Amino acid sequence: MAALLQLEDVSFGYEREPVLRHVNLSVGEQDFLAIIGPNGGGKTTLLRLILGLETPWSGQIRWRAGSPPRIGYVPQFSTFDRNFPLRLRDTVLMGRIGHGGWLRRRNAEDTAAVDRVLAQLRLTTLSDRPIADLSGGQLQRALIARALVSNPEILFLDEPTASVDAETRSALSDLLAELNRDIPVVVVTHDVTAMAVHVKQIACVNRRLFYHGSGQLSHAQLEEAYGCPVELIAHGVPHRLLHAHDECAHD
Amino acid sequence: MTELALFFSYDFTRLALLAGLLASVLGGVLGTFVVVKRLVFITGGISHAAFAGLGFCYWLGVDPLIGAVVVAVLAALLLGWVSDAGTRSQDALIGVLWAGGMAIGILFIHMTPGYAPNLMTYLFGDILTVVPRDVVLLAVLTTVTLGLLFVLHRGLVAVAFDETFARVQGVPVRALTLLLLVLVALAVILLIQVVGIVLLLALFTLPPMIALLLVARSFGLVLLVAVLTGLLMTTGGLAASWTMDLPTGPAIVLTGIVLGLVVWGTKKVFGQGRLSD
Repeated sequence: MAALLQLEDVSFGYEREPVLRHVNLSVGEQDFLAIIGPNGGGKTTLLRLILGLETPWSGQIRWRAGSPPRIGYVPQFSTFDRNFPLRLRDTVLMGRIGHGGWLRRRNAEDTAAVDRVLAQLRLTTLSDRPIADLSGGQLQRALIARALVSNPEILFLDEPTASVDAETRSALSDLLAELNRDIPVVVVTHDVTAMAVHVKQIACVNRRLFYHGSGQLSHAQLEEAYGCPVELIAHGVPHRLLHAHDECAHD
Repeated sequence: MTELALFFSYDFTRLALLAGLLASVLGGVLGTFVVVKRLVFITGGISHAAFAGLGFCYWLGVDPLIGAVVVAVLAALLLGWVSDAGTRSQDALIGVLWAGGMAIGILFIHMTPGYAPNLMTYLFGDILTVVPRDVVLLAVLTTVTLGLLFVLHRGLVAVAFDETFARVQGVPVRALTLLLLVLVALAVILLIQVVGIVLLLALFTLPPMIALLLVARSFGLVLLVAVLTGLLMTTGGLAASWTMDLPTGPAIVLTGIVLGLVVWGTKKVFGQGRLSD
Protein backbone atom coordinates (compact mmCIF):
# COMPACT_ATOMS: atom_id res chain seq x y z
CA MET A 1 0.00 0.00 0.00
CA ALA A 2 1.33 3.42 -0.93
CA ALA A 3 2.37 5.83 1.80
CA LEU A 4 -0.29 8.23 3.04
CA LEU A 5 2.04 11.16 2.45
CA GLN A 6 5.07 11.38 0.22
CA LEU A 7 7.55 14.25 -0.12
CA GLU A 8 9.77 14.03 -3.18
CA ASP A 9 12.87 16.17 -3.53
CA VAL A 10 11.27 19.16 -1.82
CA SER A 11 13.23 22.41 -1.56
CA PHE A 12 12.01 25.62 -0.01
CA GLY A 13 13.17 28.92 1.49
CA TYR A 14 11.56 32.14 2.70
CA GLU A 15 13.97 34.47 0.95
CA ARG A 16 16.86 33.71 -1.39
CA GLU A 17 18.55 31.14 0.85
CA PRO A 18 16.92 27.73 0.91
CA VAL A 19 15.86 26.51 4.34
CA LEU A 20 15.27 22.97 3.14
CA ARG A 21 17.04 21.20 0.31
CA HIS A 22 16.02 18.03 -1.53
CA VAL A 23 13.93 16.53 1.23
CA ASN A 24 12.39 13.08 0.68
CA LEU A 25 10.07 11.75 3.31
CA SER A 26 7.12 9.41 3.55
CA VAL A 27 4.52 8.83 6.22
CA GLY A 28 2.60 5.57 6.34
CA GLU A 29 -0.70 4.50 7.88
CA GLN A 30 0.67 3.36 11.22
CA ASP A 31 3.63 5.70 11.60
CA PHE A 32 4.56 7.59 14.75
CA LEU A 33 7.18 9.86 13.29
CA ALA A 34 9.34 12.31 15.23
CA ILE A 35 10.89 15.07 13.15
CA ILE A 36 13.92 16.19 15.12
CA GLY A 37 16.82 18.52 14.53
CA PRO A 38 18.44 21.69 15.86
CA ASN A 39 16.50 24.93 16.27
CA GLY A 40 16.45 26.84 13.01
CA GLY A 41 17.14 23.67 11.07
CA GLY A 42 13.82 23.76 9.22
CA LYS A 43 11.63 21.36 11.23
CA THR A 44 8.72 23.77 11.55
CA THR A 45 9.18 24.86 7.94
CA LEU A 46 8.89 21.26 6.84
CA LEU A 47 5.66 20.98 8.81
CA ARG A 48 4.32 24.21 7.24
CA LEU A 49 5.01 22.77 3.78
CA ILE A 50 3.18 19.55 4.61
CA LEU A 51 0.22 21.50 6.02
CA GLY A 52 0.01 23.50 2.80
CA LEU A 53 0.86 26.81 4.48
CA GLU A 54 3.87 27.22 2.18
CA THR A 55 4.43 26.16 -1.40
CA PRO A 56 7.69 24.35 -2.20
CA TRP A 57 10.16 25.94 -4.61
CA SER A 58 10.63 22.58 -6.22
CA GLY A 59 9.67 18.98 -5.64
CA GLN A 60 6.36 17.35 -4.87
CA ILE A 61 4.19 16.84 -1.81
CA ARG A 62 1.78 14.03 -2.59
CA TRP A 63 -1.14 12.76 -0.55
CA ARG A 64 -2.36 9.30 -1.36
CA ALA A 65 -5.90 10.51 -1.91
CA GLY A 66 -4.70 13.20 -4.31
CA SER A 67 -5.81 16.07 -2.09
CA PRO A 68 -4.94 16.54 1.60
CA PRO A 69 -7.07 14.44 3.97
CA ARG A 70 -8.64 15.84 7.15
CA ILE A 71 -5.62 17.07 9.08
CA GLY A 72 -5.40 17.45 12.85
CA TYR A 73 -2.94 20.17 13.75
CA VAL A 74 -1.59 21.14 17.18
CA PRO A 75 0.44 24.36 16.98
CA GLN A 76 3.05 25.73 19.38
CA PHE A 77 1.73 27.85 22.24
CA SER A 78 3.58 30.86 20.88
CA THR A 79 1.32 31.10 17.82
CA PHE A 80 -1.76 32.30 19.67
CA ASP A 81 -2.77 34.50 22.60
CA ARG A 82 -3.26 32.45 25.76
CA ASN A 83 -5.36 35.27 27.26
CA PHE A 84 -7.85 35.19 24.40
CA PRO A 85 -11.38 35.27 25.88
CA LEU A 86 -12.52 31.75 25.12
CA ARG A 87 -13.78 28.79 27.11
CA LEU A 88 -12.04 25.46 26.65
CA ARG A 89 -15.19 24.05 25.04
CA ASP A 90 -15.37 26.85 22.46
CA THR A 91 -11.69 26.44 21.70
CA VAL A 92 -12.25 22.77 20.92
CA LEU A 93 -15.32 23.66 18.88
CA MET A 94 -13.07 25.68 16.54
CA GLY A 95 -11.68 22.37 15.35
CA ARG A 96 -15.06 21.71 13.68
CA ILE A 97 -14.75 24.70 11.35
CA GLY A 98 -13.21 22.58 8.62
CA HIS A 99 -16.19 20.25 8.78
CA GLY A 100 -18.72 21.21 6.14
CA GLY A 101 -17.36 24.69 5.53
CA TRP A 102 -16.51 27.60 7.81
CA LEU A 103 -19.68 29.53 6.93
CA ARG A 104 -21.92 26.85 8.36
CA ARG A 105 -23.52 27.52 11.73
CA ARG A 106 -22.80 25.24 14.64
CA ASN A 107 -25.12 22.23 15.00
CA ALA A 108 -25.92 19.38 17.38
CA GLU A 109 -23.42 17.11 15.66
CA ASP A 110 -20.64 19.59 16.49
CA THR A 111 -21.70 19.70 20.14
CA ALA A 112 -21.76 15.90 20.32
CA ALA A 113 -18.31 15.65 18.74
CA VAL A 114 -16.93 18.20 21.22
CA ASP A 115 -18.45 16.35 24.19
CA ARG A 116 -17.02 13.07 22.92
CA VAL A 117 -13.48 14.37 22.51
CA LEU A 118 -13.59 16.26 25.83
CA ALA A 119 -14.48 13.00 27.56
CA GLN A 120 -11.81 11.10 25.66
CA LEU A 121 -9.12 13.53 26.83
CA ARG A 122 -10.60 13.81 30.36
CA LEU A 123 -11.33 17.52 29.93
CA THR A 124 -15.08 17.45 30.60
CA THR A 125 -14.84 18.99 34.08
CA LEU A 126 -12.73 21.85 32.71
CA SER A 127 -14.89 22.55 29.70
CA ASP A 128 -16.32 25.86 30.97
CA ARG A 129 -12.99 27.24 32.15
CA PRO A 130 -11.45 30.10 30.18
CA ILE A 131 -8.27 28.94 28.47
CA ALA A 132 -6.34 31.63 30.32
CA ASP A 133 -6.89 29.64 33.55
CA LEU A 134 -5.59 26.31 32.23
CA SER A 135 -2.22 24.82 33.11
CA GLY A 136 0.27 24.10 30.34
CA GLY A 137 -0.66 20.43 30.27
CA GLN A 138 -4.40 21.14 30.26
CA LEU A 139 -4.03 23.66 27.44
CA GLN A 140 -1.94 21.18 25.48
CA ARG A 141 -4.68 18.56 25.84
CA ALA A 142 -7.27 21.16 24.83
CA LEU A 143 -5.31 21.85 21.63
CA ILE A 144 -5.08 18.13 20.93
CA ALA A 145 -8.84 17.91 21.50
CA ARG A 146 -9.34 20.76 19.02
CA ALA A 147 -7.26 18.83 16.49
CA LEU A 148 -9.10 15.54 17.10
CA VAL A 149 -12.64 16.88 17.04
CA SER A 150 -12.60 16.93 13.24
CA ASN A 151 -11.90 13.14 13.13
CA PRO A 152 -8.56 13.70 11.39
CA GLU A 153 -6.89 11.06 9.26
CA ILE A 154 -3.45 12.22 10.40
CA LEU A 155 -2.24 14.23 13.39
CA PHE A 156 0.60 16.78 13.39
CA LEU A 157 2.03 18.34 16.55
CA ASP A 158 4.57 21.17 16.67
CA GLU A 159 6.79 21.04 19.79
CA PRO A 160 4.04 19.59 22.02
CA THR A 161 6.34 19.12 25.01
CA ALA A 162 7.93 22.57 24.98
CA SER A 163 5.67 24.21 27.59
CA VAL A 164 4.75 21.35 29.89
CA ASP A 165 6.41 19.67 32.88
CA ALA A 166 8.06 16.25 32.88
CA GLU A 167 5.06 14.38 34.26
CA THR A 168 2.69 15.90 31.70
CA ARG A 169 5.23 15.11 29.02
CA SER A 170 5.10 11.39 29.66
CA ALA A 171 1.28 11.43 29.94
CA LEU A 172 1.19 13.25 26.62
CA SER A 173 3.47 10.70 25.07
CA ASP A 174 1.19 7.89 26.23
CA LEU A 175 -1.83 9.74 24.86
CA LEU A 176 -0.20 10.12 21.44
CA ALA A 177 0.69 6.45 21.40
CA GLU A 178 -2.95 5.66 22.13
CA LEU A 179 -4.10 7.89 19.27
CA ASN A 180 -1.49 6.29 17.06
CA ARG A 181 -3.43 3.03 17.21
CA ASP A 182 -5.92 4.64 14.82
CA ILE A 183 -4.07 7.33 12.87
CA PRO A 184 -0.49 8.26 12.00
CA VAL A 185 1.08 10.82 14.34
CA VAL A 186 3.84 13.23 13.32
CA VAL A 187 5.62 15.19 16.06
CA VAL A 188 8.05 18.02 15.42
CA THR A 189 10.28 18.30 18.45
CA HIS A 190 13.74 19.20 19.61
CA ASP A 191 13.19 17.01 22.67
CA VAL A 192 12.86 13.48 21.41
CA THR A 193 13.47 11.93 24.83
CA ALA A 194 9.92 12.80 25.93
CA MET A 195 8.47 10.72 23.12
CA ALA A 196 11.23 8.13 23.06
CA VAL A 197 9.29 5.14 24.30
CA HIS A 198 6.58 5.33 21.66
CA VAL A 199 8.15 6.90 18.59
CA LYS A 200 8.49 4.44 15.74
CA GLN A 201 10.29 6.51 13.11
CA ILE A 202 12.70 9.40 13.25
CA ALA A 203 13.49 12.03 10.67
CA CYS A 204 16.47 14.24 11.44
CA VAL A 205 16.28 17.61 9.70
CA ASN A 206 18.91 20.30 9.44
CA ARG A 207 18.54 22.04 6.07
CA ARG A 208 18.62 18.57 4.55
CA LEU A 209 17.00 15.40 5.73
CA PHE A 210 19.88 13.51 7.32
CA TYR A 211 18.16 10.39 8.35
CA HIS A 212 14.78 8.85 8.05
CA GLY A 213 13.94 5.45 9.32
CA SER A 214 13.05 3.31 12.22
CA GLY A 215 16.45 1.91 13.15
CA GLN A 216 18.92 3.44 15.51
CA LEU A 217 20.69 6.54 14.31
CA SER A 218 24.40 6.35 14.16
CA HIS A 219 26.45 8.76 16.17
CA ALA A 220 28.13 10.04 13.03
CA GLN A 221 24.81 10.75 11.30
CA LEU A 222 23.56 12.75 14.24
CA GLU A 223 26.75 14.72 14.53
CA GLU A 224 26.55 15.52 10.87
CA ALA A 225 22.98 16.74 11.29
CA TYR A 226 23.47 18.77 14.40
CA GLY A 227 26.97 19.92 13.65
CA CYS A 228 27.97 19.28 17.22
CA PRO A 229 28.74 16.40 19.55
CA VAL A 230 25.69 14.48 20.65
CA GLU A 231 25.13 11.66 23.04
CA LEU A 232 23.03 8.63 22.32
CA ILE A 233 20.90 6.93 24.88
CA ALA A 234 19.44 3.56 24.19
CA HIS A 235 15.98 3.23 25.62
CA GLY A 236 15.80 -0.48 25.13
CA VAL A 237 12.69 -2.13 23.83
CA PRO A 238 10.77 -1.45 21.74
CA HIS A 239 12.89 1.28 20.17
CA ARG A 240 16.36 2.54 20.65
CA LEU A 241 16.52 6.28 20.60
CA LEU A 242 18.79 9.05 21.39
CA HIS A 243 19.33 12.18 23.30
CA ALA A 244 20.67 15.16 21.44
CA HIS A 245 22.13 18.39 22.70
CA ASP A 246 19.88 20.58 20.68
CA GLU A 247 20.96 23.86 22.21
CA CYS A 248 24.48 23.76 20.84
CA ALA A 249 25.67 26.24 18.30
CA HIS A 250 25.29 25.56 14.63
CA ASP A 251 25.04 27.67 11.54
CA MET B 1 -31.89 68.56 35.65
CA THR B 2 -32.64 71.68 33.69
CA GLU B 3 -29.14 71.33 32.28
CA LEU B 4 -29.98 67.83 31.08
CA ALA B 5 -33.36 68.89 29.69
CA LEU B 6 -31.61 71.64 27.81
CA PHE B 7 -29.12 69.13 26.44
CA PHE B 8 -31.86 66.97 24.98
CA SER B 9 -33.78 69.92 23.61
CA TYR B 10 -31.36 70.58 20.78
CA ASP B 11 -31.27 68.65 17.52
CA PHE B 12 -27.51 68.80 17.34
CA THR B 13 -27.03 67.29 20.79
CA ARG B 14 -29.48 64.48 20.04
CA LEU B 15 -27.61 63.88 16.80
CA ALA B 16 -24.34 63.84 18.71
CA LEU B 17 -25.69 61.23 21.11
CA LEU B 18 -26.84 59.06 18.21
CA ALA B 19 -23.44 59.41 16.56
CA GLY B 20 -21.84 58.45 19.86
CA LEU B 21 -24.01 55.33 20.08
CA LEU B 22 -23.09 54.21 16.57
CA ALA B 23 -19.44 55.05 17.16
CA SER B 24 -19.52 52.88 20.27
CA VAL B 25 -20.87 49.92 18.33
CA LEU B 26 -18.31 50.28 15.53
CA GLY B 27 -15.41 51.02 17.87
CA GLY B 28 -16.36 48.24 20.28
CA VAL B 29 -16.88 45.54 17.66
CA LEU B 30 -14.11 46.37 15.17
CA GLY B 31 -11.81 47.63 17.92
CA THR B 32 -11.91 44.28 19.71
CA PHE B 33 -10.64 42.58 16.56
CA VAL B 34 -8.07 45.35 16.13
CA VAL B 35 -6.80 44.89 19.69
CA VAL B 36 -6.63 41.08 19.76
CA LYS B 37 -5.09 40.92 16.29
CA ARG B 38 -2.64 43.71 17.21
CA LEU B 39 -3.71 45.97 14.36
CA VAL B 40 -3.69 49.19 16.40
CA PHE B 41 -0.71 50.70 14.63
CA ILE B 42 -2.17 49.75 11.23
CA THR B 43 -5.41 51.51 12.20
CA GLY B 44 -3.44 54.61 13.13
CA GLY B 45 -1.59 54.43 9.81
CA ILE B 46 -4.83 54.14 7.82
CA SER B 47 -6.45 57.09 9.59
CA HIS B 48 -3.49 59.38 9.05
CA ALA B 49 -2.92 58.25 5.45
CA ALA B 50 -6.57 59.12 4.75
CA PHE B 51 -5.76 62.75 5.42
CA ALA B 52 -4.00 62.84 2.04
CA GLY B 53 -7.24 61.98 0.24
CA LEU B 54 -9.19 64.37 2.40
CA GLY B 55 -6.89 67.31 1.62
CA PHE B 56 -6.72 66.46 -2.09
CA CYS B 57 -10.50 66.43 -2.47
CA TYR B 58 -10.80 69.62 -0.52
CA TRP B 59 -8.38 71.25 -2.96
CA LEU B 60 -10.35 69.82 -5.92
CA GLY B 61 -13.53 71.16 -4.40
CA VAL B 62 -15.05 67.67 -4.13
CA ASP B 63 -16.54 66.13 -0.98
CA PRO B 64 -13.45 65.36 1.19
CA LEU B 65 -15.14 62.20 2.48
CA ILE B 66 -14.74 60.56 -0.96
CA GLY B 67 -11.00 61.10 -1.03
CA ALA B 68 -10.60 59.97 2.54
CA VAL B 69 -12.52 56.75 1.89
CA VAL B 70 -10.58 55.91 -1.28
CA VAL B 71 -7.18 56.50 0.31
CA ALA B 72 -8.09 54.71 3.55
CA VAL B 73 -9.32 51.60 1.74
CA LEU B 74 -6.25 51.57 -0.52
CA ALA B 75 -3.98 51.94 2.52
CA ALA B 76 -5.81 49.12 4.29
CA LEU B 77 -5.45 46.80 1.27
CA LEU B 78 -1.78 47.73 0.82
CA LEU B 79 -0.93 47.11 4.49
CA GLY B 80 -2.90 43.85 4.52
CA TRP B 81 -1.13 42.70 1.39
CA VAL B 82 2.32 43.64 2.72
CA SER B 83 1.74 41.81 6.00
CA ASP B 84 0.65 38.74 4.09
CA ALA B 85 3.78 38.84 1.93
CA GLY B 86 5.65 38.18 5.16
CA THR B 87 8.04 41.07 4.80
CA ARG B 88 9.39 42.88 7.80
CA SER B 89 8.90 46.30 6.26
CA GLN B 90 5.22 46.58 7.22
CA ASP B 91 6.04 48.45 10.40
CA ALA B 92 8.13 51.01 8.57
CA LEU B 93 5.60 51.30 5.75
CA ILE B 94 2.90 52.20 8.27
CA GLY B 95 5.14 55.01 9.50
CA VAL B 96 5.63 56.29 5.94
CA LEU B 97 1.88 56.23 5.20
CA TRP B 98 1.21 57.92 8.55
CA ALA B 99 3.59 60.84 8.01
CA GLY B 100 3.18 61.00 4.23
CA GLY B 101 -0.62 61.13 4.43
CA MET B 102 -0.56 63.99 6.89
CA ALA B 103 2.06 65.88 4.87
CA ILE B 104 0.13 65.60 1.60
CA GLY B 105 -3.17 66.49 3.25
CA ILE B 106 -1.80 69.61 4.92
CA LEU B 107 -0.05 70.64 1.70
CA PHE B 108 -3.28 70.50 -0.33
CA ILE B 109 -5.22 72.36 2.30
CA HIS B 110 -2.46 74.97 2.35
CA MET B 111 -2.71 75.33 -1.45
CA THR B 112 -6.46 75.72 -1.41
CA PRO B 113 -7.31 79.39 -1.92
CA GLY B 114 -9.76 81.17 0.30
CA TYR B 115 -11.13 80.08 3.62
CA ALA B 116 -9.11 77.29 5.24
CA PRO B 117 -11.18 74.47 6.68
CA ASN B 118 -11.07 73.94 10.36
CA LEU B 119 -8.11 71.60 10.63
CA MET B 120 -8.70 71.22 14.33
CA THR B 121 -12.04 69.55 13.63
CA TYR B 122 -10.42 66.87 11.48
CA LEU B 123 -7.57 66.36 13.91
CA PHE B 124 -9.40 66.48 17.20
CA GLY B 125 -13.03 66.08 16.17
CA ASP B 126 -16.20 67.69 17.39
CA ILE B 127 -19.13 65.37 17.81
CA LEU B 128 -21.42 68.39 18.24
CA THR B 129 -20.84 69.38 14.60
CA VAL B 130 -22.15 66.04 13.27
CA VAL B 131 -24.74 66.47 10.50
CA PRO B 132 -27.58 64.04 9.66
CA ARG B 133 -25.67 62.63 6.69
CA ASP B 134 -22.79 61.54 8.99
CA VAL B 135 -25.22 59.72 11.24
CA VAL B 136 -26.90 57.99 8.29
CA LEU B 137 -23.53 56.83 6.94
CA LEU B 138 -22.51 55.63 10.40
CA ALA B 139 -25.80 53.74 10.70
CA VAL B 140 -25.31 52.08 7.30
CA LEU B 141 -21.76 51.00 8.11
CA THR B 142 -22.79 49.76 11.55
CA THR B 143 -25.56 47.66 10.00
CA VAL B 144 -23.22 46.23 7.37
CA THR B 145 -20.57 45.45 10.01
CA LEU B 146 -23.02 43.71 12.33
CA GLY B 147 -24.52 41.79 9.40
CA LEU B 148 -21.10 40.55 8.27
CA LEU B 149 -20.21 39.66 11.85
CA PHE B 150 -23.40 37.62 12.13
CA VAL B 151 -22.66 35.67 8.96
CA LEU B 152 -18.88 35.34 9.29
CA HIS B 153 -18.36 35.26 13.04
CA ARG B 154 -17.03 31.69 13.24
CA GLY B 155 -14.34 32.42 10.68
CA LEU B 156 -13.54 35.87 12.05
CA VAL B 157 -13.10 34.64 15.62
CA ALA B 158 -11.04 31.68 14.42
CA VAL B 159 -8.76 34.05 12.51
CA ALA B 160 -8.53 36.38 15.49
CA PHE B 161 -7.60 33.54 17.84
CA ASP B 162 -5.27 31.34 15.80
CA GLU B 163 -4.58 32.29 12.20
CA THR B 164 -2.44 29.28 11.32
CA PHE B 165 -4.95 26.79 12.67
CA ALA B 166 -7.72 28.59 10.79
CA ARG B 167 -5.74 28.31 7.55
CA VAL B 168 -5.18 24.60 8.06
CA GLN B 169 -8.95 24.30 8.53
CA GLY B 170 -9.56 25.94 5.16
CA VAL B 171 -10.75 29.33 6.45
CA PRO B 172 -9.86 32.08 3.94
CA VAL B 173 -7.69 33.93 6.44
CA ARG B 174 -6.33 36.43 3.96
CA ALA B 175 -9.72 37.47 2.61
CA LEU B 176 -11.20 37.81 6.09
CA THR B 177 -8.24 39.87 7.31
CA LEU B 178 -8.54 42.20 4.31
CA LEU B 179 -12.28 42.51 4.86
CA LEU B 180 -11.65 43.40 8.49
CA LEU B 181 -9.09 46.03 7.48
CA VAL B 182 -11.46 47.57 4.92
CA LEU B 183 -14.25 47.76 7.53
CA VAL B 184 -11.78 49.35 9.94
CA ALA B 185 -10.74 51.84 7.25
CA LEU B 186 -14.35 52.84 6.56
CA ALA B 187 -15.13 53.13 10.27
CA VAL B 188 -12.02 55.22 10.80
CA ILE B 189 -13.12 57.72 8.15
CA LEU B 190 -16.61 58.11 9.54
CA LEU B 191 -15.35 58.35 13.10
CA ILE B 192 -12.90 61.11 12.23
CA GLN B 193 -15.93 63.39 12.46
CA VAL B 194 -16.71 62.15 15.95
CA VAL B 195 -13.38 62.26 17.74
CA GLY B 196 -10.90 63.33 15.04
CA ILE B 197 -7.92 61.57 13.52
CA VAL B 198 -5.66 62.00 16.53
CA LEU B 199 -8.11 60.75 19.12
CA LEU B 200 -9.99 58.10 17.15
CA LEU B 201 -7.67 55.31 18.18
CA ALA B 202 -9.06 55.73 21.68
CA LEU B 203 -12.47 54.48 20.50
CA PHE B 204 -10.81 51.39 19.00
CA THR B 205 -8.57 50.55 21.94
CA LEU B 206 -10.03 51.69 25.27
CA PRO B 207 -13.40 49.87 25.16
CA PRO B 208 -11.88 46.52 24.03
CA MET B 209 -9.08 46.80 26.59
CA ILE B 210 -11.57 47.44 29.39
CA ALA B 211 -13.83 44.63 28.15
CA LEU B 212 -10.88 42.21 28.02
CA LEU B 213 -10.07 43.12 31.63
CA LEU B 214 -13.62 42.17 32.60
CA VAL B 215 -14.45 39.13 30.46
CA ALA B 216 -12.40 35.93 30.14
CA ARG B 217 -14.60 33.26 28.66
CA SER B 218 -16.51 34.55 25.71
CA PHE B 219 -15.41 36.60 22.74
CA GLY B 220 -19.02 37.57 22.04
CA LEU B 221 -19.38 38.93 25.56
CA VAL B 222 -16.18 40.93 25.11
CA LEU B 223 -17.74 42.54 22.03
CA LEU B 224 -20.88 43.43 23.98
CA VAL B 225 -19.02 44.82 26.99
CA ALA B 226 -16.75 46.80 24.67
CA VAL B 227 -19.78 48.39 22.98
CA LEU B 228 -21.33 49.27 26.36
CA THR B 229 -18.02 50.70 27.56
CA GLY B 230 -17.85 52.77 24.40
CA LEU B 231 -21.35 54.05 25.16
CA LEU B 232 -20.30 55.09 28.65
CA MET B 233 -17.27 56.79 27.15
CA THR B 234 -19.13 58.79 24.53
CA THR B 235 -22.11 59.77 26.67
CA GLY B 236 -19.94 60.46 29.72
CA GLY B 237 -17.58 62.50 27.58
CA LEU B 238 -20.46 64.45 26.06
CA ALA B 239 -21.89 65.13 29.52
CA ALA B 240 -18.51 66.30 30.79
CA SER B 241 -18.02 68.44 27.72
CA TRP B 242 -21.52 69.98 28.11
CA THR B 243 -21.34 70.70 31.82
CA MET B 244 -17.72 71.80 32.03
CA ASP B 245 -17.48 73.43 28.61
CA LEU B 246 -14.67 71.14 27.39
CA PRO B 247 -13.86 70.15 23.80
CA THR B 248 -15.79 66.91 23.13
CA GLY B 249 -13.00 64.74 21.60
CA PRO B 250 -10.61 64.98 24.55
CA ALA B 251 -13.53 64.74 27.00
CA ILE B 252 -14.61 61.40 25.43
CA VAL B 253 -11.07 60.00 25.39
CA LEU B 254 -10.31 61.06 28.96
CA THR B 255 -13.62 59.62 30.18
CA GLY B 256 -12.51 56.31 28.69
CA ILE B 257 -9.10 56.49 30.33
CA VAL B 258 -10.64 57.27 33.73
CA LEU B 259 -13.06 54.36 33.22
CA GLY B 260 -10.17 52.06 32.35
CA LEU B 261 -8.18 53.13 35.40
CA VAL B 262 -11.19 52.57 37.66
CA VAL B 263 -11.76 49.05 36.29
CA TRP B 264 -8.07 48.20 36.45
CA GLY B 265 -7.73 49.62 39.97
CA THR B 266 -10.84 47.80 41.20
CA LYS B 267 -9.47 44.55 39.84
CA LYS B 268 -6.14 45.17 41.54
CA VAL B 269 -7.83 45.79 44.88
CA PHE B 270 -10.52 43.13 44.74
CA GLY B 271 -8.51 40.31 43.19
CA GLN B 272 -7.70 38.98 39.78
CA GLY B 273 -11.01 37.47 38.71
CA ARG B 274 -12.86 38.59 35.62
CA LEU B 275 -16.62 39.11 35.47
CA SER B 276 -17.50 35.57 34.59
CA ASP B 277 -15.30 33.87 37.18
